[in-house]
Amino acid sequence: MTGNREQLLALRQATVSFQGFVAVDRLDFSVAAGELRCLIGPNGAGKSTTLDLICGKSRITSGEIIFRGEPIHTYREFRMARTGIGRKFQVPSVFRELTVMENLEIGCSREPGVWHNLFRFSGGADTERLERLALLVGLQDELSTQAAHLSHGQTQWLEIALILAQDPALILMDEPTAGMTAHETNMTAELFNRLRGQHTLIVVEHDMGFVRDIAETISVMHQGRLLAQGTADEISEDPGVREAYLGSGGIGHA
Amino acid sequence: MDFVVSQILTGLSLSSILLLVALGLAIIYGVTGVINLAHGEFVMLGAYGAWLLQTQFGWNVLASLFVIFLAIALLGWLLEATVIRHLYDRPLDTILATWGLGVMIQQIVRLTAGGELRYVQMPPGLSGSVDILGATDSAYRLFVLGVALGLFALTWSIYRYTTFGLKLRAITQNRAIASSFGINSGQAYRATFAYGAGIAGLAGALISPLKSVSPEMGTTYVVDAFMVVVLGGVQSLMGTLASSAVLGEASGLLAYFSNDTIAKALVLVAIVIIIRFRPQGLFAPRVRA
Amino acid sequence: MSGKLTRQFLIYGAVCLCILLVPVVVDDAFLLNKYARYLVFGMLAIALSLSWGYAGILNLGQATTFGIGSYCMAMFLKLKTVPVHTGSEGLPDFMVWNNVTELPWIWVPFQSTTFSLLAGILLPALFAALLGWFIFGGRIAGVYAAIITLAVMVVANLIIIDQQSYTGGFNGITDLAEFSFLGIDFDAYSASTYYLVAASLTVTLFLALAVSRSKTGLILQAVRDQEERVRFFGYDVALYKTFVFALSAGIAGLAGMLYTIVMEFASPTFLGVPLSLSIVIWVAVGGRQSLIGAMLGAILVTGVQGALSESEAFLETWTLIMGGLFVLIVLLMPKGLAGAIEALVRRLPQAGNGRSARHTEPDHRPETHPNLGGTQ
Repeated sequence: MTGNREQLLALRQATVSFQGFVAVDRLDFSVAAGELRCLIGPNGAGKSTTLDLICGKSRITSGEIIFRGEPIHTYREFRMARTGIGRKFQVPSVFRELTVMENLEIGCSREPGVWHNLFRFSGGADTERLERLALLVGLQDELSTQAAHLSHGQTQWLEIALILAQDPALILMDEPTAGMTAHETNMTAELFNRLRGQHTLIVVEHDMGFVRDIAETISVMHQGRLLAQGTADEISEDPGVREAYLGSGGIGHA
Repeated sequence: MDFVVSQILTGLSLSSILLLVALGLAIIYGVTGVINLAHGEFVMLGAYGAWLLQTQFGWNVLASLFVIFLAIALLGWLLEATVIRHLYDRPLDTILATWGLGVMIQQIVRLTAGGELRYVQMPPGLSGSVDILGATDSAYRLFVLGVALGLFALTWSIYRYTTFGLKLRAITQNRAIASSFGINSGQAYRATFAYGAGIAGLAGALISPLKSVSPEMGTTYVVDAFMVVVLGGVQSLMGTLASSAVLGEASGLLAYFSNDTIAKALVLVAIVIIIRFRPQGLFAPRVRA
Repeated sequence: MSGKLTRQFLIYGAVCLCILLVPVVVDDAFLLNKYARYLVFGMLAIALSLSWGYAGILNLGQATTFGIGSYCMAMFLKLKTVPVHTGSEGLPDFMVWNNVTELPWIWVPFQSTTFSLLAGILLPALFAALLGWFIFGGRIAGVYAAIITLAVMVVANLIIIDQQSYTGGFNGITDLAEFSFLGIDFDAYSASTYYLVAASLTVTLFLALAVSRSKTGLILQAVRDQEERVRFFGYDVALYKTFVFALSAGIAGLAGMLYTIVMEFASPTFLGVPLSLSIVIWVAVGGRQSLIGAMLGAILVTGVQGALSESEAFLETWTLIMGGLFVLIVLLMPKGLAGAIEALVRRLPQAGNGRSARHTEPDHRPETHPNLGGTQ
């Protein structure tokens, strides 16, 4: 499936260890442009750490990370982000003291220079686009609300909107539906299906129903390595995956 | 030979004062994460306590130590209960608030005791000098060294062997988890703050016969104490001991080879460089959520 | 949104106009000199508000850059004096007393007016840029950054006192010529100097307002909120922080130059811990997240202090009161008077508003939220 599309991101023998504990172990992992990839696995499998490596929050101890042909693991975080990588964190992190609109303006980071932004004031050319984004995630009535006053679900949506404002080629989503109601989760699935194609997404998720709704290819991680990869049905048939999940009550509840 | 010994003894004396002054700061910082900028004022209050008890009641410094410890510990307890405890989630504001408290304490002393220098007599039994390997050293300085080591050993044992110490270590590791196991971190913090303040007061009283006593004296001590803590590493009492020894000897040598101003400047530059290049090694053990 | 902006501009403009009109009412030269001093402090407060209030960088050594600016001006004016105590031309008196025979190289460029005026702003800014890069490039933030700024200031102070033959040491640089520029003489005790300071303050205030309102200002606020998060949007956080640190230093440098003109000397106490603490207090009282609040806080506090300074004992008590007030404000009103007033204004019209009901419910959440940013 990934063979006929251009490869966007590749981790080659990526390894990271924290004081002797190997969280990601010689991981080979690649994603094609426009793909929506789900990354699942039991707790501690190294999923979030893998996302951390791709966005620069953690540094690989050995191996390499190639994005659009560039060895981005040598870059500092902000340079990695500028190559077109956006990250939604597991604990929603938005700027709580700023309003929703101000948050969105921060997200819109195509021109990240100090000097350039010194002469940019709110109400500029991006406003319309940002308002459309707010509409997309249902925050159109909250534009001047301080982010600290949003509900948990709304905060999740705001962070997703921030990533969309950033408009990166590759979007990393760490448990985007955590704390969302069933209805909100459905809306998120719908949104992700709409994003597929224009953006490349890697989604770490525990909610298997959600994963089945959105995934074309699922990658399963276990103990820092890639255990299996394939469609939802292939994965649930895989004996290795079944074994890894045995302790945690089967794939449906992972 | 006796020059070397006397130089080492000078350094040791400086080390013991550093240890006395830094111990309280290190405990408070290690357990609660608060950089107490009023720490120097606690030291200063201890010195004034010794002066007051001596001039008013004719008490010997040694006799007043326990009273001073209790008084300053009580003050620390009160300040924690009224001010500090509201600020644990706002580290920047704790340094501001403790700075403000320091200014207030200094000002109160200046208004009541006056701004002039005060002097405290050495305890009569310890005013002589002792011969060590051909060099002579003041008996009182040796006594201070002994007390400093004794206090350190006491503090270390409390931390290491008592239930209270175990609770402190648990809180330092993870405040939230410790609380969920029923450890009252609020109480532990208050006790720690009081103890640290008491030790600072004790340090001030012990130092008072060696230095002149003035409302501003705390400023130097807070810088020195902070330097010791930075160098020794947070949450490591042994580190505090080691860095007091190293710094005491080093500043003894530095003062011998250059002037005081430059020595002071160099110490500060060292602080800056350590904070900048070893923040993870010296500060990162802060795992509190 | 734009209505709020217009209101802000109106308030800022009105305050500046009041300040500029003071000499119309007051013609006592001594009072004007005193007021000009307060305005300089107001400018310092604006500088700290930019770095602390907007970017979360608590600069405990703001007086360092203030001092550099004031020494630049003092060196310039010193070289303009007719040397009284010396035979060798153009050599400041204290150098002669210290047996310096030739003008030191650091002093030479200060013979030029253009250089001196630029240096008073650019040297502090450059100094802060280097220091900022050193601190923020190493990801040092919060308390540790604050301690570094404090330590660096004390070092600078010690060096100035130690290098007596180049800096005048403990006594500073005194006996200065009168500042004159573009044909205007700025006698310290005159309306012209007051206007110079008031106009500089106005320009600074609006410049700072523009920066705070720009997207760069917004990004700085985001950095204050969650530094780590900003990085993952592709912003070079260290560069942003260094920028605002240097800008704040430039403003402090300008304030320092004006202070030398107003006070007619420069002294190592200008780079002192007490002054730095005072700046922090003014800004905390006025409101660190409001430029005008911080500025008025400085003018208010120093004004009251000046009124009380007639009696020495009272001044001591005043310091005590200020310390207590400061602790209370840190404890109870982290956003200072401006924050309190803003909250009051916001509450009034919202009483009958339908939105307020929805807002009350999530209001419980904010304060107890664990800080994800780590060391802020």
